[in-house]
Amino acid sequence: MKIGSLIGDILKSFFKKPATILYPVERIHAPERYRGQLFWEPEKCSGCQLCVKDCPSNAIELIVLDKVNKRFVMRYDKDKCTYCAQCVASCRFACLNMNSDQWELASLRKEPFTVYYGKDEDVSFLLAERAATSHLHSTE
Amino acid sequence: MPETKHGDKFIVPIGPQHPALKEPGHFEFTVDGETVTGASVRLGFVHRGIEKAAEERTYIQDLYLLERICGICSHVHAMAFALGVEKLAGVTVPERAQAIRVLVAEMERIHSHLLWLGVAAHEAGFDTLFMYAWRDREKVMDLLEQLCGNRVNYSINVLGGVKEDVNDVIRDGILSAMDYLETRTVLYLKLVTTERTLIGRTRGIGIMEKQTAARLGTVGPTARASGLERDIRLEAPYAAYLQYPARIVTEQTGDLEARFIVRVKELYESFRLIRGILSTLPGGELTTKMPRRIPEGETISRVEAPRGELFYYIKSNGSDKPDRVKVRTPSINNFASVMATAVGHKLADIPMILSGIDPCFSCNDRMVSIRGSEGQQAVDWEELRLYGIEYYR
Amino acid sequence: MSENMKSILSLLIFPGGLAVMAAGMIYEYIDRKLVARFQNRVGPRWFQPLADFIKLLAKEEVIPEGIHPVLFQWLPVVAIAGALTSALYVPMFGVEPAFHFTGDLVVTIYLLSILTLCTGLAGANVANRFSIIGATRTLTQLFSYEAPFLLALFGPAIAAGSWDIAVIEQYATSHPWLMVFQPIGFLVALIGLMGKLELPPFDAPEAETEIVSGALTEYSGRGYALFRLGRSVELVIGLTLVAAFYLGGVANPLLFLAKTLGLLLIIAALQSLFARLRIDQTVGLWWRSGAVLVLLQLLVLIALKYFGVAI
Repeated sequence: MKIGSLIGDILKSFFKKPATILYPVERIHAPERYRGQLFWEPEKCSGCQLCVKDCPSNAIELIVLDKVNKRFVMRYDKDKCTYCAQCVASCRFACLNMNSDQWELASLRKEPFTVYYGKDEDVSFLLAERAATSHLHSTE
Repeated sequence: MPETKHGDKFIVPIGPQHPALKEPGHFEFTVDGETVTGASVRLGFVHRGIEKAAEERTYIQDLYLLERICGICSHVHAMAFALGVEKLAGVTVPERAQAIRVLVAEMERIHSHLLWLGVAAHEAGFDTLFMYAWRDREKVMDLLEQLCGNRVNYSINVLGGVKEDVNDVIRDGILSAMDYLETRTVLYLKLVTTERTLIGRTRGIGIMEKQTAARLGTVGPTARASGLERDIRLEAPYAAYLQYPARIVTEQTGDLEARFIVRVKELYESFRLIRGILSTLPGGELTTKMPRRIPEGETISRVEAPRGELFYYIKSNGSDKPDRVKVRTPSINNFASVMATAVGHKLADIPMILSGIDPCFSCNDRMVSIRGSEGQQAVDWEELRLYGIEYYR
Repeated sequence: MSENMKSILSLLIFPGGLAVMAAGMIYEYIDRKLVARFQNRVGPRWFQPLADFIKLLAKEEVIPEGIHPVLFQWLPVVAIAGALTSALYVPMFGVEPAFHFTGDLVVTIYLLSILTLCTGLAGANVANRFSIIGATRTLTQLFSYEAPFLLALFGPAIAAGSWDIAVIEQYATSHPWLMVFQPIGFLVALIGLMGKLELPPFDAPEAETEIVSGALTEYSGRGYALFRLGRSVELVIGLTLVAAFYLGGVANPLLFLAKTLGLLLIIAALQSLFARLRIDQTVGLWWRSGAVLVLLQLLVLIALKYFGVAI
């Protein structure tokens, strides 16, 4: 039976730098495999929809503009995503990856959470089309 | 609270919201001065309907849903489910994948036991040990993040294997961290067996005899602290535990001190297993081909979670969605032991006894039972729906 | 007129009143910071106790039902008044006590107990079960440490042959450190102070994992702020008393700082070394060892004094 067996440790800790990382001031790098934001490369995609089917939280949607010419746009909701990387594992053409640098995804507004990936002209085409339909609905 | 007395009894309510509980649960302790004369428990505040939700999703999606049953032992849930589904599909998972699953499971055990050590120390008012244990736990968390890509819900399993491989950098990182943690564990073991103020709070408190432990069906470290040799890793080896056998750690006294010792000594066992796996990691593929539609059938899958036996029952109807998934988590088995041992102790010991089983409330809450005037009654799905509509009208 | 002016100044500004409150907050900060560093944490920033105080003052004071509202509101005021008054008889900041008379040691010790008494009453006043248990524990603890603490401070008084704090302090300054001759008294006084302030490991009366916040569970806003401030003030006064009696007096502000901060360092280390004692263990510790040992020492002192041995 001893009393105060931690005395050595508390004295050591007293002279040591605190273990706490003062996060926003002091940043450490996320490890290489860290699962941050999802990225999609439209060139390789075959439009098989396996990633969409396997997503446990409906965070991704592959919008088909033209199936024959392989014109796809991917809608990705960062707030719905659970960062499990099942879509990355399911993709047979390696067109999905999770970026280890993009992990500070907090936002005060809802809009930045939804991103559209794809060739620029496809995305702008889709957004223009959606804007037009929503305008139509609102005027009705 | 205008009325403090119920008849002659003075009842101290703990929960649903209470600083001693990190999750909601409700306990009522009848006290006479400082001595507890009666105890009752009510669970079910965080029922999430996960089992029903699992029937609505595909097997692949369920893997991530079930992983979220428990935030601390997330990997074993995914592993138990994956092992069960692979058994149903008749798929043999590569050896390397099985070994990596066991590696992550043991690292998770270290993180869970260190977390428990911190929480139990905090309940005992020993905040320095709490801070130190959690500081050291951070090492394992970082390693898991490095290996799997996530800190809490590792999501390293896929049906038919694992997603990530162990490379040399990660192996060296894990081995050096294990050396550091081993020196710390020596200190913690010394602390829980010799520090007088801590022993004053643990020795002879919450004693559970071997027979009682067996009768109440306790599992995991709680049972092993009472001398019961229960460990699924040995009784029914799964994944790679046949190649890397675990050794059982038991204590005979069955008090809180024994639960401390068993958990701290199991850390050594995890270090040994991790070193063994890393030195003789079998080569080969990480995944194997897995059908999307699982053949009709039913199976059970048992694994040893950090808290004890985790039980999965999976029934398939031949489609890509399970017909039924039934989960029994270890905490539900251990809860009865709290109620059985609490009576006769001081009120100050109750949080210690409660945390001694390492309870996980949200894991437990998966049953609907309504306390009516005619006692317990079972309700079916339709009645429950009508009850819900009536309740929220 | 000038005499009155001086009294009011010493009561409100220095050495009582504002100066003691400021010192209380600074010492509370140092204590929290030291404990954090012992636990390998960063700890609070320097203005944290002040920020806590202002925040609590700005908050609504919820007055629960089924209580005596006047008692509920005035107990914190009485508590802090007791603590602040006792500062007037103690050589705060190394200057002469503002007032002194024969027997002010006893008065000071009882003024210091008012805070604990008020905490107990505040807990018993409300109908919250945690408060009632906390109040019981607070008062139980009061009865366990109070007598040994009192006896520990009587040791130097007997050695100096006076009940006047200023005289005892002068005696301590002109003689070798009393902690060498009365080590038991020193230890009991220091640990008694921790019991008085309900610092770990004697924090059973407010053990958050058992009874939420003990006697003060129902307090919020102003009342809670005053109780907390009162405790910080008592920390400074208690440290000053122990330093003045056992560490060779606090003749000037520099010595005051060095000695009280040294004691604070020891107290912070003791806070982080142990698991919390159960209330029955606390009582057992004080009555089985603390009280008996300090009583023995006191008897030896009296006997030596009687036989005319110089001490």
